Amino acid sequence: MKKRFTLIFLISCLLIFPVALFAQDIKVTGKVTDQADGGPLPGVTVTIEGTTRATLTDGSGTFVISAPAGSNLVFKLIGMASKTVPVGSGPMNVTLAQDTKALSEVVVVGYGTQKKSVVTGAISSVKAADLENQPVTRIEQSLQGRTSGLTIASSSGQPGAASSVRVRGITTFNRSGGDNNQPLWVVDGVVVDNGGIGYINQSDIESIEVLKDAASQAIYGARAAAGVILVTTKKGKSGDIKINYNGYYGFSGPSKKLDLLDATQYATIRNEAAFNADAAARATNPALPPFVAPFANPSALGKGTDWQDAIFNNSAKRQSQEFSISGGGEKSTFYSSVGYLQQDGIVTTDISKYKRTNIRLNSTHKLAKFLTIGENLGFSHEKSTGLGNTNSEFGGPLSSAINLDPITPLVVTDPAVAAGSPYSTNRVIRDANGNPYGISSNVGQEITNPLAYIETRRGNYTWSDNIVGNVFGELKPIEGLTIRSTLGTKLSYYGTEAFTPVSFLNSSTVTGQTSFNRQQNRQVNYNLENTAQYSKSVGKSSFSVLLGQGIYVDNNSRGTNITYNNIPANSFEEASLNFNVSNDLRTASGSEGQLHKVASFFGRVNYDFDEKYLFEAVLRRDGSSRFGANNKFGYFPSVSGGWVVSKEDFLQDNKVFSFLKLRAGYGVVGNDNISDFGYVSLLGGGRNYTFGNSGNYNVGYSPVAPFPSPDLKWEETRSTNIGFDATILKDFTFTAEWYRKVTKDILQNPRIPLYLGGVQNPPANVADMKNTGVEFELGYRKKLGDLTLGANGNISFLKNEVTSLGNNVQYLSGGETFQSAAYPITRTAVGQPYSSFYGFKTQGIFQTQADVDAYTGRNGKIQPNAKPGDFKYQDTDGDGSITEADRQFIGNPTPKYTYGITFNASYKAFDFMVFGTGVGGNKIFQGLRRLDILNANYQTTILNRWTGPGTSNTVPRLITGDPNGNFTNPSDFYLQDGGYFRIKVVQLGYNLPKTTISKIGMQRARIYATAENLFTITKYTGYDPEIGGGVLSIDRGIYPQARSFMLGLSVGF
Amino acid sequence: MKKYIKYTVLFAVALMLLNSCKKFVEVEPRGAFTETGYYRDATEAFNGLVATYDILGYQANNFVTKVDVVDAASDDNVAGGGGPNDVTAMQVMSNYTLTPALGPQDSLWASGYQGVYRANILLAKLPAVPMDDALKARYTAEAKALRAYFYFDLVRFFKNIPLITEPVTVDKAYDIVQATPTAVYAQIESDLKAALAETNFPVTVPVATEAGRLNKGIVHALLGKVYLYEKKYTEAAAEFKEVNGATPGQPSATYGYNLVASYASLWKNANKFNSEAILEITHTSKSNTTWSCLTCGEGNILNIMTGPRNYNILAGKTAPDYISGYSFLPVTQNFVDFSHNDPRFRASVANLDSLEKNGIVTYEKGYMNTGYFVEKFAGRLSDKTTGGGNVELNYPQDMYEIRLADTYLMEAEAIIVGGGDISRATALITAVRNRAYADGLQHPVAPTLQNVIAERRLELAFEGHRWFDLVRWGLAGQVLGSKGFVTGKHEILPVPLQELDNTKLKQSREWGGSL
Repeated sequence: MKKRFTLIFLISCLLIFPVALFAQDIKVTGKVTDQADGGPLPGVTVTIEGTTRATLTDGSGTFVISAPAGSNLVFKLIGMASKTVPVGSGPMNVTLAQDTKALSEVVVVGYGTQKKSVVTGAISSVKAADLENQPVTRIEQSLQGRTSGLTIASSSGQPGAASSVRVRGITTFNRSGGDNNQPLWVVDGVVVDNGGIGYINQSDIESIEVLKDAASQAIYGARAAAGVILVTTKKGKSGDIKINYNGYYGFSGPSKKLDLLDATQYATIRNEAAFNADAAARATNPALPPFVAPFANPSALGKGTDWQDAIFNNSAKRQSQEFSISGGGEKSTFYSSVGYLQQDGIVTTDISKYKRTNIRLNSTHKLAKFLTIGENLGFSHEKSTGLGNTNSEFGGPLSSAINLDPITPLVVTDPAVAAGSPYSTNRVIRDANGNPYGISSNVGQEITNPLAYIETRRGNYTWSDNIVGNVFGELKPIEGLTIRSTLGTKLSYYGTEAFTPVSFLNSSTVTGQTSFNRQQNRQVNYNLENTAQYSKSVGKSSFSVLLGQGIYVDNNSRGTNITYNNIPANSFEEASLNFNVSNDLRTASGSEGQLHKVASFFGRVNYDFDEKYLFEAVLRRDGSSRFGANNKFGYFPSVSGGWVVSKEDFLQDNKVFSFLKLRAGYGVVGNDNISDFGYVSLLGGGRNYTFGNSGNYNVGYSPVAPFPSPDLKWEETRSTNIGFDATILKDFTFTAEWYRKVTKDILQNPRIPLYLGGVQNPPANVADMKNTGVEFELGYRKKLGDLTLGANGNISFLKNEVTSLGNNVQYLSGGETFQSAAYPITRTAVGQPYSSFYGFKTQGIFQTQADVDAYTGRNGKIQPNAKPGDFKYQDTDGDGSITEADRQFIGNPTPKYTYGITFNASYKAFDFMVFGTGVGGNKIFQGLRRLDILNANYQTTILNRWTGPGTSNTVPRLITGDPNGNFTNPSDFYLQDGGYFRIKVVQLGYNLPKTTISKIGMQRARIYATAENLFTITKYTGYDPEIGGGVLSIDRGIYPQARSFMLGLSVGF
Repeated sequence: MKKYIKYTVLFAVALMLLNSCKKFVEVEPRGAFTETGYYRDATEAFNGLVATYDILGYQANNFVTKVDVVDAASDDNVAGGGGPNDVTAMQVMSNYTLTPALGPQDSLWASGYQGVYRANILLAKLPAVPMDDALKARYTAEAKALRAYFYFDLVRFFKNIPLITEPVTVDKAYDIVQATPTAVYAQIESDLKAALAETNFPVTVPVATEAGRLNKGIVHALLGKVYLYEKKYTEAAAEFKEVNGATPGQPSATYGYNLVASYASLWKNANKFNSEAILEITHTSKSNTTWSCLTCGEGNILNIMTGPRNYNILAGKTAPDYISGYSFLPVTQNFVDFSHNDPRFRASVANLDSLEKNGIVTYEKGYMNTGYFVEKFAGRLSDKTTGGGNVELNYPQDMYEIRLADTYLMEAEAIIVGGGDISRATALITAVRNRAYADGLQHPVAPTLQNVIAERRLELAFEGHRWFDLVRWGLAGQVLGSKGFVTGKHEILPVPLQELDNTKLKQSREWGGSL
C-alpha cells in the first residue's frame, strides 16, 4: 500500500513540476479568514484559474503561490462559498463566507445529479443522516412527514405492509391493475415497479429524492405522472475500510383499545332493541304473543369476554441488525452489507409476523482513466405471516373481536356445554387442554372466535425473493462527455404456502376437508438505458446536454397455483404436496402476466449563467405497449427556470438573505398505467356452461366489449410550479411552492348502452382532474458552544377537484361500499374531490311524535314513518320526502393538509430527536360494526342512545330491523374528524467517549433508546386515524400502528 | 485501452439498434384472443355457442338472478337476507319501492342483451367458419332459439325493448330505438320456428354428454309458452300437446317426457335431467367459483342464499343437513297458510320454526324471518363441493326453467281459456295432482282457470313462475297490492335509468315515460 502511495505522489509531483517552473510568475502571498469570526481558515485550496496549479493554506490560513500577473485565484473550501479574486500587488487578504450546508448539497435528479443551488424543479430530498437509526421497516415510511408534498398513510399495521403514497395528491382515478397513484420508484437508476419497494435495507440508503413537479419528472415521461421517487444506495469510497453496525431490539404493543359493550350491557341493549321492535309490531297487531326478552337476566352475565384482550399482544418482539463494510482502493470501491429485520405483529402475533434478510453489494471499478464499470446489486428474502383481513368488515381477528358478542366464552370450560351442540357434533377447534374455543350463537357469518381462527391459519406464510440491481459502464472519452450504458433488472420470486385444516368455526365457516395450497411466481423485469451527457463551461456560462434512450419490459411474470385437497395432514408442518392424493382432489391454475413494454428517447438541456440565471428543458418520447394503434407514441416536454436573486449585486450586502432563488416550471407527464390491450376487442372467458351429467363444464368465449378503442392513450398531467428557496438570517432555510397539477384524459370505461351486449365498457380517455396546493419547508440549525439545535418543519396544503368525467357524466356510479349499507358511501363527482363521502345529512333526532309531525314539506310530513328516536334527515332536494336524491357530499377522505416536525438537539455526547407528523381536514368513515349481523356487538357510545325525549340528539334509538335506516343509511353519523398529530419517533442517544472506544479500534459508538408512535392526538375514536388504501380514511377495523420501545446500538470501526 | 473503447462503442451501438423499432412496443396478448382473430374452426364456433348458453344460468355479481327477483316480488316469498339493504335489488322488488335508478332491472336488462349479443355475433360469424355444414346448421338453430329465449324474458320484463339481430357497429351504437312488443314477439316466433324447421337440430340429445342443450322438444315447449303469453291459446295448446304427448301421465312419444314418481325427488341432486325436465338450467360444483367473479361461476348461488343463518343441529338430534346460508327468500305466512295441507308442502317449504320449537336445531333469525325457508333450494351439506373455489358459491343444483308439470298446466290453461278438449285439460291437471299425492288414488279437480291458478302455485312454488303468472292473469294488483304492487305500473320493470342517457330509448309509460 505505502509503496503505491509514494508512487502516486511522485507522479503528481512530476506532473506539477513543469508548471511550477513556468516563467514570468510573481510570488503571491496572503491569508484566508472566516467572514463570520475572522478566524484563519486552514486547508483552503488556492488554484490559479484555468490551470491545475494549486496550493493549500496552512494552519494560520496563509498561502504562497507563484501566479502569472493578472491571473485570478480561486479559493475553495468545503462548507464555504468559493471566491475568485484577481492577483494583486500586495499580500491578499481573502475572507470566505460560510456556504449554507444545504445549498452546497448535491441532489439526485433523473439520469444524473445537480447542485441543489441550481435545481429548477421541485425536488425534496431526504439524506441518510435523517434516516439513520430510525426504526423503519419499509422505505416509504421513512418519507412520511419528512418532506412536503407527500401524503403517506399506512394501509395496515401488519408488519411489512405497504403504505399508500401520494405525491401532490392523487393523479388519476383509473384503477385498472391496482393503485395507479403510487409513484414510480427508481432505485440506482432501475425502474422498479410500483409498490415493490419493500426489499430495501434501511441503512443502505444514501438518499431519497422525491420529484414533485413535471419539470423534474418529465425525464421519466409517460410513467411519471404520479410522481417519481429516486433512491440511491450507498457506495464505497476510496480509503480505509469502514465497518458499521447498527441494531436495535424492542417491543411493540397496541396504543389503544376500543370501548365495547360488556356482556351485561350487550344483553341490555339487545333486549331494548327487541322490545322496541315488538312494541312497534304490537301497535298494528295487538294479538301478538307476550313479549319475551332475548336475555332474561342481563346483570347475571357479568362482564363476559373481552375479545380485544384475546387478540392484542403488548410485547410483540421487534429487532433489526444491519452490518456493512465499505472502502476501496484507487481503482475499485465497494459497499456491502447484510441486514436482518424481524417484526411481530401486535394483533394475533401467531399469525402476524414479518422477517426480512438483505444482502447488498455495490462496487465500481475504474478500468481506465476514461472507463468505469460497476454494479449495484441487492438481494432480499421476505417472509410474512399475515392474519388475512387487515381492514375488512368481512372477518379476520380484528373485525371478529369488534363484532363478537361478549357473552360467548373464549374457551368453553363447562363440560355440559362442551358436550352439547355445536361442540360435540363438529370438528371444533380446541385449546391445549382439549377445551373447545367458544362459538357464538348470537353472531355468525364470517365473524368467528379469533383464537380458533388462528389455528386455521397457523404456519401459513407468503414469501418473496428479490434480486434487484444493475450493471453499468461509463465512458468519458473527452473532457465533459460521459456516455453511460445501464442494464437493470428486477428478478423476483414470490409465493404463498397455506394449509387449511378441517375446522368448524361456526356453522357458516366450515372446512370439511384439509387443503394445502402453494403458489409460486417468477417475474423478471428489465430495462436498458444508454445516455450521453456533455457539459461545458464557457466564461460564466455553463451548459449541459443529455441525450438518452431506453427500453423497459415489465410484468413479465409466470405463476402456478396448486391445491391438494383432503391431504392426510393435521397441521402446516405435516402438509406436503408429496401426499399422493387422487387426481380429482388436485386443482391447479397458472397465470402469465401481459408484457408491458416501453421504448423511449429523451433529452435534457441545462444552462446557467454564473449560477445566477438557470434554465432547463426536457423532452421525452415514450411508446408503450398499452397505447392504441392510433397513439403509440407520446411526447412529454418541460421547461423550467430559476433566478438566484442573492447573487445579484443589489443583494450582496444584505443581512437577511444569504441565499434566495426563485424558480418556476411547467411540464407535461403521462401515466401509462392503463389496462393492457384496452385498445383491441378481446375475447373473454368465464363464459362457461355445463352440458351432460358429468358436471364438467364447457369453456366459452365471446368478445368482452362490443367494439375496440384504437384511440386509447396515456393519461396526461400538466403541472405548473412556482417556488423559492431561501436562507434567511443564516440559520433558517425556507422553501415555499405553489403548484397546479391538471390531469387530462383519465382513463375511464364510459358507459355504453347495455343493449350493445358487452360485458365491459371499452376504456376511453375522458375524465379530468385538478390538484392545487402550496407547500412550505422551514429549517433551522444553530450551534451554541456544545449545544447544537436543529428543527425542521413542513406543511402541505392540497385541494383536489374532479373537473370532468366525460360527456354528460356528472358522477361515477358505484363508489366505495360498506357491506349492506343502503348506498355506496363515497361518490366521485364533477366539482368535488375524488371519492368524497356521500350520504344523508342528519339534523338531530326526533325527540317526540310532535317533532315528527312538525317536520313537513310540500306533501305534508317529510318522514311520515319515523318515530321518536329516529334521525331527522335533511330534505336536500326539497321534494317533501327522504329519498336517495337527498344524499349529499358530507366529507373528504383525503387530508387537506399534512405536516411534519422534527426537532434535534445535541449536547456534548448526548443527542435527542423528536419527530411528529399529522394530517388534518379529512373525515374518517367508521364502519366497525357489521350492519347485516343484527346481533353484532357495539361500542359503548351506543349507551348514549336515544331512550326518551331529551336523552340524545346524536345516537338514535335501537330497534331490531331499523325501519328508519338510522344505521343502514350512510350519513354523517358515521363520519368523524380524521385529523391527528402523532409523535412518530422520539430518540435519545449517547456517544461513548472517543478516548474509551478508540482503545478497541472503534471510531464511534452510540447507544440509543427509541420510542415509536409514542402517542397520537386525535378526536377519532377508532383504533388508528391513519388509514391507507385506494380511498383513504375508510375504517373497517384497521390493523392499528404499533407503539414500540427499542434500545439500539450503532458502532463504526 | 483501445479494446475498452471498441467494446463500449460496439455495446452502445448494438443496444441502440435493438431498441429503436416501433415493433418493440407492439405486444401480443398472452392467452387471449382478439375478436378479429377468432372463430376459425368448429371448436371456436362451439366455444362461442357455449358463451351464449352461459347466459341461461346468469347470476349477477350483486346476487340478482331472474328467479330470486321474481320470487321476492311474489306473494310466496319476501326478500329477507341480513337486513333491509342486503341485496337491495331484491328488497325493492319485495316491497315495490323500485325506481328506474334502483332495482334489478340493470342486471336483467344487461344479461338479456349479453345473451342476444353473443347469439348475434355467433350468427354473424358462423357463415364464414370452415366447418361441417350440418354442425353449422345445428349451431345456427341453437343460437336462434337462445336469442328467442333471451328476447322472451326481456319483452316480458320490460315490454319496450330494442330489437337487435346483428352486432351493432360503433357508428350505429346510439341510433337504436325500441321496437313494439308485437315486433319482438314476431322475431321470437320466427327464431323458434326456424330452429324447429332445421333438420340438423336434434329432436332429443344424449343425456350423458349433451343434456341441457337445446333440442326440438325444448323449443316446442318454449314456443308454446310464448304463444300463451301472446294469448294465442290454440297455437299454444298445440305446441304443448306436442311436448306433453297424447296421454297425460304417460311418456310422450317423441321426446319421452314423463312425470317422475316422487315430487320431492325433483330437487335431489342425483336426479338431474330426469324425464320431467324439459329446459333445465345447469350448474356444477366443479367450476371453482370465487368471490372475485360470481358471474363467471357455474355454481348455483340460490342454495347459499336461501339457507337459514347460523344453522346448528343440536346434539343427538336428526334434522335435514341444510347449510348455513344467508336467509334470503323466507316463505310468507300467506303461502304456508295456503299450502300446508298439500302433499307438496314438505318438499317445498323448510319449517325451521318447528324444528327450533321442538328443540332440534337453532338458527339465527335474519331480516323478515318467518321461520319458513325454501326447501327446494336450501343448500345441503351433502352437495358441498370438494373442489376448489369458495364452497358457498359452488353448489351444483340445476334449475327447471320448464318442466313437464308446468307444460301440463300451461296446456290445460290454454285449453280452458282458449277452448279445446276440456277433458284433456282435466286429465292434465289430474295427472299433476295424482303425482303430487302419489297414493295410487285419483285426485281430480274441475277444469277451471281458478284451479289451474291454485295448482300452479302449489306445484311450481318458488320456481320463478308465480309473479309472471299473476301479471299474465291480470291478478297481480289484487294479490300483490298489499306488498305495494301498483296496477298499471309494476307489471313491467322500468327501462334502466342509465340506459336512457345519450340514447334514443324512452322510458315506458308505466314508469312515467312516453312509450
